Amino acid sequence: MSESKRSIESRLLRGAHRTLTGLSPAVESLLAAVVGLLIGAILMYIWGFNPWKAYIALFKGAYGGSYEIASSLARATPLILTALTFSICLRSGMFNIGAEGQLFMGATASILVAYMALPAPLGQIVGLILAAIAGAAWSLVPAFLKLTRGVSEVISTIMFNWIARWLVLYLAIFILGDPNRAEKTLSIPLAARFPVMVRGTDLSYTIFVSVAFALLIYFVLWHTTVGYEVRAAGLNPTAARYGGIRNKRTMFLSFILGGIAAGLAGATITMGQPPTYAIYGGAAMPQLTNVGFDGMAVAMVGRNHPIGIIIAAVFFGGLNAGGRVMQFYGSNPVPLELVRVVMGAIVLAMSIPELIRIFPSVKKQGQELVGLFRRLTRKPVKEEQA
Amino acid sequence: MSETETAGAPPAQATYYLRAEGITKVYSDGTVALKAADVELHTHEIMGLLGENGAGKTTLTKILSGLLPPTQGRVVSPKGPVRFSSPREALDFGIGMVHQHFALVGPFTAAENIALSHERPFTTIQLARTREQLEALMAESGLHVPLDVPVEKLAVGEQQRVEILKVLSRDVDLLILDEPTSVLTPLEVDELFDLLRKLKEQGTSIILITHKLKEVQSITNRIVVLRHGEMVGDVRTEDATTERLAQLMVGQAVEGEAVAVELKDEELPTRVQRGKVDRAGESVLHVEHLTAKGNTGEIAVNDLTFDVYGGEIFGIAGVEGNGQTELVESLTGLRVPISGTATIRGTNILGVSPRQIYRLGVAHIPEDRWELGLVLPFTLAENAILGVHQWEEFKGPLSFLRWGKINRHVRELMDRFEIRAAGPSAPAKSLSGGNQQKLIVGRELAKDPAIIVASQPTRGLDIGSAKYIRDLLEEMRDKGRAILLVSADLDEVLARADRIAIMYEGKFMKVCAPSELNREQIGLLMGGVTDEEAS
Repeated sequence: MSESKRSIESRLLRGAHRTLTGLSPAVESLLAAVVGLLIGAILMYIWGFNPWKAYIALFKGAYGGSYEIASSLARATPLILTALTFSICLRSGMFNIGAEGQLFMGATASILVAYMALPAPLGQIVGLILAAIAGAAWSLVPAFLKLTRGVSEVISTIMFNWIARWLVLYLAIFILGDPNRAEKTLSIPLAARFPVMVRGTDLSYTIFVSVAFALLIYFVLWHTTVGYEVRAAGLNPTAARYGGIRNKRTMFLSFILGGIAAGLAGATITMGQPPTYAIYGGAAMPQLTNVGFDGMAVAMVGRNHPIGIIIAAVFFGGLNAGGRVMQFYGSNPVPLELVRVVMGAIVLAMSIPELIRIFPSVKKQGQELVGLFRRLTRKPVKEEQA
Repeated sequence: MSETETAGAPPAQATYYLRAEGITKVYSDGTVALKAADVELHTHEIMGLLGENGAGKTTLTKILSGLLPPTQGRVVSPKGPVRFSSPREALDFGIGMVHQHFALVGPFTAAENIALSHERPFTTIQLARTREQLEALMAESGLHVPLDVPVEKLAVGEQQRVEILKVLSRDVDLLILDEPTSVLTPLEVDELFDLLRKLKEQGTSIILITHKLKEVQSITNRIVVLRHGEMVGDVRTEDATTERLAQLMVGQAVEGEAVAVELKDEELPTRVQRGKVDRAGESVLHVEHLTAKGNTGEIAVNDLTFDVYGGEIFGIAGVEGNGQTELVESLTGLRVPISGTATIRGTNILGVSPRQIYRLGVAHIPEDRWELGLVLPFTLAENAILGVHQWEEFKGPLSFLRWGKINRHVRELMDRFEIRAAGPSAPAKSLSGGNQQKLIVGRELAKDPAIIVASQPTRGLDIGSAKYIRDLLEEMRDKGRAILLVSADLDEVLARADRIAIMYEGKFMKVCAPSELNREQIGLLMGGVTDEEAS
């Protein structure tokens, strides 16, 4: 074998590794953003668009004025919360893919406020509490299955997303439906809505709910014994057990906190997004769909840290809002499909540093799933030979 | 090298298969694992590689099988020098190693696992062809394994045979087995040895790494003994007595040998002379008929009964893997034993959570500081409160952590235990091994415990840190604390313990004062030879 070549390769790799691992997370993410933007630019250039102009359109659409900033923040509001769902659970070593379903349940529960005639601050509070309880309850079943029967939480939470989706659709049509308008549920009454902050935009005071919850999670994780136990169990379950930490308890707790976050995310949509203040749109349910999944990408970009997540969500909201502007920007209209490719490249690039950091846990999950798949698909005949 | 015993010069000179010449290995942290080792390997031969933990057995075989490059020296075949930069190259040459921990994919069948090991980049896995080859090979070698059952369903002995078959299927001439019998039942050991004899007849050269004296005598043709990285013996099996082997393995604390055993032994005389135990303290830990299973379901701790008294260091010596880990885990709440009792000052500690055990005044210095003792990505401060994070002094209202107080506590620990680090917020993984261990020891001793369970507390540490930690344990002993010291480092146990127990296959071979035994007797006991058998 070519020994010298191998050693040069390995030396290069080791050098690159040393350089890259010495960076602070913030610098890493910034570098990743530059790489992502560059890839996007190359793609647009290849298809004959001016990347510079397109990115100016993107920026202007995202943060170019008070209206744009407000739109970006409005989009960030539920994303902060669903990103927290994923991060809290990951910090305790679990993969909670169920923010989507938990958000659906939270949104639906908040509609119940429509049946109560509550005065101003009480209506909002009750709505949030109902949503939090519903989200937490929906996350409890997968958590319980995991802890008692060892059911993979990846699979159970994904399944619960679908159960939630169709359950909510049923409830929206048959139970909570608006008697006057078939396409939507009852609306949150005026007194219980979160007022709009910037007139003409859909940015409401719910953003404070999101930010406050993110800060709360930060304090819980880094400044309380409970959070300390969650993080210890997530980083090294064996050492945590040695340290007298009950790992099952921390997992359970992180699932509840995650469920609360996702439930609240649902409430920020129903209670704080004009114009309908209801679940609408039939089976598509456009305001709720994919917010949970996007949250996972936000969590990656935000390095699974509550403060990073707030920043990442605002960035993500900006990408969403600005992406639309790229499509109809004067002389250089980039088609929607390419806009999505560019967005994808940017998000992917920015997720990579964190994906590398959490790779061991991702790998462990993957192996578990592969093992499960093998066991399920193996023909039973072969058992007899054992 | 002067002390090397070379009784076993092979009859015909040119018939060697492979020769390691002057192999020296220095690890990046400065540990000298191997010093100028010369080993010759022959076909039609089983060579036993004997030595204590850390003697350099594994390092030598890793160099032969291409896992590690030697720092100095070379490996020569009759055709000239060879150099492997990966295990794959060594395999292509004809050298295969079966490691102690199997490299098998649990849900895959044996055939799939072996096909996987044949895979080259950018080629498809040829399962059918591999199967044919394997069946032919099984018929030829007499080594039979079920090919179509997921390997996780196989017994450990069968899994090991899958590993051997995997290596044999690559057409090897040299088969290296690292402690192959440590996971096997006696019957499986017999089967394995039959197989090895058959392979030897077919011309394979075999290296068997072991520390069990009886085994090595029953199957090998030649025995090479390593101690502290040096080759101290190369003898023909029929010429070797059990006593001589034990002596070579653990060394003698007499005459000219002292130089070879280095600094560690300078501590020896004083402590051994101290002799008799003055059992001033009362029993702190009382264990009765404790039996516990290991991870693979074998009985690892077998009906142990003992006491540890206040004001003594009770040392458990023995080669690793003889139940020490399981014993410690059972006593610290990490493993639920199957029977027996254990109490600390009358309170039961079996099947109780670590948290409750710590409340009884137990400190645990775990054997694996990376897996158990520390959360490596955590900071120094975060690690310094692992297990004591619920203490009132660190906790404010609403279970808020009082980082101010914690950091002050950490600085005190750093001063008191000479932990060298940038500060309380330095990540634990940035610390050197010695400082990591001092952090753990400091944390545990700060609990002001009644009993300290210290498992391999100085493994892998430099001489300074090791001495420091041993001194700390003695200091605690002198304050009347009970100390259970489990160590594979015989010198450490002999030098520091007031009473020692020698553990072999889950039982204590003997419990006595260190001065009552000489090294030869200890070597025999560690190798599973009882007093009666030896005399």
